[in-house]
Amino acid sequence: MTRRHLAFALAAILITLTVLAAVTYGQSGEYKIGVLEPLTGPLAGEGKRHLEGFEIVRDMINDRGGVMGKKLTFVVADAPDPTAAATEATRLATREGVKIITGTFSSRLCGAASEAAARQNVIYWETSCVDPRFNKRGLKNVYRTEIDATGFGWYNVEFIAKHLAPRFNKKPSELKIAFLSEDSSYGQGVTESARARAKNEFGMQEVAAEYYNFQTINDFTPIIVKFKQLAPDIVHHIGYTNDAPLFWRQAREQNFLFKAHVHAGATGYGSADFGKALGNDANGAFALLEPGPGFKIESLKPEGQKIEKDFRDAVQKRTGSYPLGGHQLAGGGLWLLKLVLDRAKSDDADKFRDAVMSLDLPAGSMINGWGVKFNQEGQNANERVQHYMLQWQNGQLVTVWPEEFTTMRAKWIPLPAWDQRK
Amino acid sequence: MDPAARLGPAQIDVVAQLAVSTLLLGGIYALIAVGLTLIFGIMRVVNFAHGEFLMLGMYLAFFAFTLRGVDPYLVLIIAIPIFYLVGLFVYVLVMRGVIHASHNVQIFTTVGLSTALQNIALVMWTGDFRIIRPWESSVVLRAAGTAFNLAQVVAFAVAVALTVALMAFMKWTHTGRVMRATAQDRDAATLMGIDTDRVYRLTFAIGIACVGAAGVLVSPLYAAYPQAGLQFVTLAYVVVVLGGLGDMAGAMLGSLIVAAVEVGGSYIFGAAWKEVFYFLLFIGVLVFRPAGLLGQRGAETLGA
Repeated sequence: MTRRHLAFALAAILITLTVLAAVTYGQSGEYKIGVLEPLTGPLAGEGKRHLEGFEIVRDMINDRGGVMGKKLTFVVADAPDPTAAATEATRLATREGVKIITGTFSSRLCGAASEAAARQNVIYWETSCVDPRFNKRGLKNVYRTEIDATGFGWYNVEFIAKHLAPRFNKKPSELKIAFLSEDSSYGQGVTESARARAKNEFGMQEVAAEYYNFQTINDFTPIIVKFKQLAPDIVHHIGYTNDAPLFWRQAREQNFLFKAHVHAGATGYGSADFGKALGNDANGAFALLEPGPGFKIESLKPEGQKIEKDFRDAVQKRTGSYPLGGHQLAGGGLWLLKLVLDRAKSDDADKFRDAVMSLDLPAGSMINGWGVKFNQEGQNANERVQHYMLQWQNGQLVTVWPEEFTTMRAKWIPLPAWDQRK
Repeated sequence: MDPAARLGPAQIDVVAQLAVSTLLLGGIYALIAVGLTLIFGIMRVVNFAHGEFLMLGMYLAFFAFTLRGVDPYLVLIIAIPIFYLVGLFVYVLVMRGVIHASHNVQIFTTVGLSTALQNIALVMWTGDFRIIRPWESSVVLRAAGTAFNLAQVVAFAVAVALTVALMAFMKWTHTGRVMRATAQDRDAATLMGIDTDRVYRLTFAIGIACVGAAGVLVSPLYAAYPQAGLQFVTLAYVVVVLGGLGDMAGAMLGSLIVAAVEVGGSYIFGAAWKEVFYFLLFIGVLVFRPAGLLGQRGAETLGA
């Protein structure tokens, strides 16, 4: 045998060994899923928070034996915009060979990402985006653990009719409600579903429904002047980060008084920026979110209590604070994925779907106090994905409703004069 | 019943409030438009990066306030020279090369500059909305049934002062006359011994100083973020065309008209309509009075 032949033989053996090692390692050791989040660009702040939530719960899963007997690992990809979301989803499926992709939080991205994933026949597991159209496209392997924007509207009206109305000593049908919203799919989705439920189910009196573009609104005074004359009991305002503080500040300037103000989602009144922008002037505003401070862990089912406590401790250890919305949505969604994989014992699309559809857990069973019951469109049910009303109280958003889940109570009902909300 | 159709004593307060809002919102628009109209009128360059200098002014005020606790009105004193220097720097680095080029090249250049500045802000300061809360942003003034914010009143006052000062500068100083001469006919001005490059440099620097100051002044009212400039700058183009290219008083008048359309339209028809109304106005002016309300006829083609 010449030297050259020897070298070839050696190389061949080495390559075979490496491939074998990789294959066996892959089989017994690790299970890889794709994680797609915006990690650069304007959505990066929330995207990174989601990734952090995924990583925290991944470690929790691995401490408990991983998924399908293997250690769960991530292939992380950056999706700053819809085009990148689609190409990266394709790359994760074709080049990285993952069978499940999770992400992408923003309603701007989830449509494109899931479409691309579906084209490659991989499972797409959305944890956060709220675009109502997401599950209406007939894509069989696309699932969402969080409720959509119409679910937000459902919860907001539930809160107004069942909690606020009795505290005002009024029937829901006696309440006058003014709707104001930014005009993206998120604002419209929440507002239109809230309008429909308020009117059809409770007969509330709608006095106004105004839309505006949050990127170009510079002055709310004309709208506030108009609203003042209409004298609504409730202002239902879905806003973003720059317009919500503007509306609130100008409402105070114009001494616009209403009994309550309700928002939904982690932007606008639900964002920490709102508190930073207004200090204690923010007092009283409501925002529908995941549970915040005040959340009573004992109100959950025993298994839910344990996992929620472990989750909070893990987030506290890593970030030094109470879980934020991004952590909760990503973490809750990934934990639910583990439950599905435990049941399916396979990432085969049909077996996976059967497992998703057969899962039936009451509210209070897992992280965030969520339960599970998916419909045929791959959407988790409104009443299982328990949501909570938070209120700004002296610089902090605290959980105030449903009351059985919290130690804190809603204050300033009805809202007193602007300078008396202390 | 439609509130706009309701009449009564309360209606007087409503009209008064809408008028005050128009005036104050117009002040903010004028503040932004006055630098744009100066650059537009004298250099014949559409500065698409104008809004980004506004954004930089807002960030300057934000960081001065959060890191050093400096009130925006004190920042204003240093902001004007800082942005004057920024203007000089950008002119020498970018604008000088394209000042004699075709309008297409100028548009590509300033749009490129705009995108570059937005992305620099994004990389350096992330996409977060930055809001400050100096004392003046929570002071509410009330008079005769109307209410307004102190920061808006200050912005309005500075806008008027700036407009008057620039008009006086253009009318009565030698440099102002030289600038007007250059605007009217670049080649003739060069033949008369005017250093047009110096005129352009000065114009651009003054324009940028104005918009930088505007950024600082609006910072107590609006959030700073990389695309903050876009929120105002499309409006500023409407204002400039409405008032007449290069006409300061026209910019003031145009701002008030745009604000009136916005406030009145939002009140009567709804906020979703506001862009429809002022762009209809914009198109109307272009069709019937292309030189603008106060602009001199034919000014739009001068020096081209």
